[in-house]
Amino acid sequence: MIASTRAGRVRRFARFAGAAVALTLALTACGRGSDEPASDGAVTLTVAVWNLAKTPEFTALFDAFQRANPGITIKPVDILADDYPDKVTTMLAGGDRTDVITMKNVTDYSRYSNRGQLLDITDLVTPTDTSKLAGLPAFNVSDKYYALPYRQDFWLLYYNKKYFEKAGVAMPEQLTWDEYAKLARSLVHDEGGKKVYGTYHHTWRSVVQAIAAAQTGGDQLGGDYSFFKDQYEMALGLQKDGATLDFGTATSQKSDYRTMFESGATAMLPMGTWYISGILEQKQKGATDVDWALAPMPQRPGATGVTTFGSPTAFAVNKRAVHADAAKKFVRFAAGQGGAEAISKVGVVPALQSPEITKAYFSLKGMPADELSQKAFQPDKVVLEMPVSEHTSDVDTILNEEHELIMVGDKSIDEGIRSMGDRVKSEVLN
Amino acid sequence: MAHVITQPAPEDSRRRRRAWRGILIGWSFILPNFLGFALFTLVPMLAAFALAFLKWDSYNTPEWVGLENFRRLLRDENFFVALRNTLYYAAGHIPLTLAAALGLAIALDRKLRGVQFFRTAAFFPYITSLVAVAVVWNMLFNPTAGPVNQVLHAFGVDDPPRWVASTDWAMPAVIVTSVWRDMGYYMVLFLAGLQTIPKEYHEAARVDGANSWQRFWRITLPCLRPTTFFVVVMLTIQSFKVLDLIVVMTDGGPGRSTLVLAQLVYREGITKGRFGYSSAIALVLFVIVLTVTVVQFRLNERRSDR
Amino acid sequence: MTALPDAPPAVAPPRSPGRSPGTRSRGPRLVRTALAYVCLLAVALLVLVPFAWMVSSSLKRDNEVLTVPIEWIPREFRWSNFAEIWDRIPMLTYLGNSAFLSVAITVLQVLTGSFAAYGFSKVRFPGRDALFLAYIATIAVPWQAYMVPQYIMMQRAELTDTYWSIILLQAFGAFGVFLMRQYYMSIPDDLCEAARIDGLSEYGIYVRIMLPLSKPALASLALLTFVNTWNDYMGPFIYLTSNDLWTVQLGLRSFVGQYDAEYAMIMTGAVLSVLPILVVFLFGQRYFIRGIATSGLKG
Repeated sequence: MIASTRAGRVRRFARFAGAAVALTLALTACGRGSDEPASDGAVTLTVAVWNLAKTPEFTALFDAFQRANPGITIKPVDILADDYPDKVTTMLAGGDRTDVITMKNVTDYSRYSNRGQLLDITDLVTPTDTSKLAGLPAFNVSDKYYALPYRQDFWLLYYNKKYFEKAGVAMPEQLTWDEYAKLARSLVHDEGGKKVYGTYHHTWRSVVQAIAAAQTGGDQLGGDYSFFKDQYEMALGLQKDGATLDFGTATSQKSDYRTMFESGATAMLPMGTWYISGILEQKQKGATDVDWALAPMPQRPGATGVTTFGSPTAFAVNKRAVHADAAKKFVRFAAGQGGAEAISKVGVVPALQSPEITKAYFSLKGMPADELSQKAFQPDKVVLEMPVSEHTSDVDTILNEEHELIMVGDKSIDEGIRSMGDRVKSEVLN
Repeated sequence: MAHVITQPAPEDSRRRRRAWRGILIGWSFILPNFLGFALFTLVPMLAAFALAFLKWDSYNTPEWVGLENFRRLLRDENFFVALRNTLYYAAGHIPLTLAAALGLAIALDRKLRGVQFFRTAAFFPYITSLVAVAVVWNMLFNPTAGPVNQVLHAFGVDDPPRWVASTDWAMPAVIVTSVWRDMGYYMVLFLAGLQTIPKEYHEAARVDGANSWQRFWRITLPCLRPTTFFVVVMLTIQSFKVLDLIVVMTDGGPGRSTLVLAQLVYREGITKGRFGYSSAIALVLFVIVLTVTVVQFRLNERRSDR
Repeated sequence: MTALPDAPPAVAPPRSPGRSPGTRSRGPRLVRTALAYVCLLAVALLVLVPFAWMVSSSLKRDNEVLTVPIEWIPREFRWSNFAEIWDRIPMLTYLGNSAFLSVAITVLQVLTGSFAAYGFSKVRFPGRDALFLAYIATIAVPWQAYMVPQYIMMQRAELTDTYWSIILLQAFGAFGVFLMRQYYMSIPDDLCEAARIDGLSEYGIYVRIMLPLSKPALASLALLTFVNTWNDYMGPFIYLTSNDLWTVQLGLRSFVGQYDAEYAMIMTGAVLSVLPILVVFLFGQRYFIRGIATSGLKG
């Protein structure tokens, strides 16, 4: 008797569970309605980007593309730059259907392409079209391409001319890291009650690690990281002497390198070329009056020529894109002549290199015209920020965690470098 | 079904019919909520147990690996750091919130004109949005120009802590913020508890010459014991699952000085897509909360027996 | 988890009426009252200082916010900040989204919660108490423990980046059932029995008797749910991507991340995100407090 009621209850429960599933399915159907393309043939293309309001190249690209393709409207999906890699990883893992995904760096690219989350667009890479596309080889994954670069950046040194004049020093033609550190210490001063730092090292690990790898020839995927040591000593030394904003404050106050430089809180700033467009726009808007110029990245003592690191930025098509064809059209446009013209007009270095585009770039209003700035623009060697392999993203995670621990002083340089090696060997390479 | 075959007496069948009616009616009330609850809370909860024994990254097929996830846990430095930080947070947050809430409740448990205003004020931080709380406190804790350090300076502290910018002081800063935010909530619970203490007790004690300090220890605290116990249990559960505040205030940093277990679950599971491993961490978190709560219950029982 | 501690009693027994015997003279009493006020004011100040700072900063220029020494009262009140912010970020959309989510979840939670609570408190059937225990037990489980399976479910159902994900996950919590049951338990069973004898069905009793009687509890639950949903950050952060779905919390966080140095504008946004809650709170604060004292639980 009791057993019978229990059996009945179980059966009843099973029926409820079935109903629950049916309900979910019904709800799912409602939730997905918005993805259907509009009946009049107009396509709304979604593109994942970061800090839209502060990154003028995106708007420039979108406007140019929409002018060239009247049937397609672009709807940006704006994501906070700090959250971008995590958020996009989550989105893709969650089966998100955003059409175009911007590849902020090659690390993320290797992560997504290895997981099979991006559409194979090898057919867009036709030799006639893309031989001039700088940075393209970085996107080659066993002879297949899942993204096309539209922007090619490398790192150089921004500096505030006003502070140099005030201190009565001229920016030397080529700095070594020791000279750079000395200069940074000497430039610290007070400006109207506010402290001005000699330089600002942003919180990214590349500021220390990628430049060390590029200039020493070290391998960031290798598992032996002793080649980071000199660079860490320099960075921590500056931080300890108060010549740069300390890492803890920079992360906790979500400090922005743009604000640091544009508000005159720092005299120097090692940063990528993409930032030129940001300064140009802010100056045009009248939001800043910083008087700036460029210099080559400091070098290791005894180095010949200028070695720096850089990274292409690319667009990829989501494998689950709603409008894959339109998305491919956009990717090709951005990597092509039209895209290159649009972004070079706002001061971004396009991946597509041709004499006309370079000329247009340098004739931009507001670009510093001095000789050193011009020279800074022609480094002898640009090393890829992070090598691409199936291990890239896992190694990147570890290097990043240990970088933070070294910079906040939780671990000594030696300890940190040792645990980078140990962890990469045991967790990734094993 | 069985009961049809047994041919019961009419009295019996009527009773049974009534029982069935009860079940039907009861379930009809519960069902709308239960459907959602079972599907979106119970099922995921049970699934979490199973997931902990799988190797499943968001982009490949699940594979049974037994205790491998837990073995990996023992090798993971981040896990132990997060565990230590979680205990640190709990050790600060529980007693401080308890003391602040009790203090507020006693201060506000009096018949004064306008006391309602003060109660409202004390409760207000609790309903303020977390993002706003984090933003405001981050600025208050700004190491150079923040009001907190300016006040400390004014009191003669020459070298005030760097709070959220330093690995040593970030956790205290988070604890201060969370105590400020939560104390009003528990104050309300204590106020309700205080209302149940018969006034005669205090008056009798006063007649016997007990001062207010003695009355607090001898009367108020013992009478509040059920409430205090309840508050401690709730605070414990809440402390161990802290996540939102840390995500918006420090995001686990600087370094990993404020990384807590719940955040590790989030990072491994949602950000990195390691479903199996993150569920193993979640399971450990759950077992910790369960153990602590059971111990609290045992202690409480033992003390009630006395 | 198998049991939950006894919640503090919902209804406090009335205190013995009348004033305490006038054993003290008037003078010290006045002093004591004054002292009490001073203490209370000091406490209130400490609690409210962050709010004062927030409001004062929202009316300044960016470079006047973090100054040494602190300026508590802005040199010049820049009300324009409050006009400007609407152009800077789609604040209206954010507010609307937050309001929509909060209302939808509140309505569902109150309806299904009170309905189920009636089943749990006034209808007798086998397995009822065990089921209720299951409800209670889940309250003690940290939600992070099952956040990942929930997320997998939602992504399989393709509900990520829709409001459905948030609504479904939050509308059927055990909290509402628990709070309402606590209240219904305090309503005497005789009342229902009498109604049954009068021929009212269980549904009739629920609609005609229980609902009207439990208005204060319903209000408590509604307010608590509303505030919790409004303030929720992790849920929307995990599930919502499209900018036009963002809630106030996400919008504010994004603004802070992008304009790290526009302190005044950030504070303006913070004030605006708190304001609706302040209104809701002042409107129904006695229900809030009663609701918490009844259930003792957080949503």
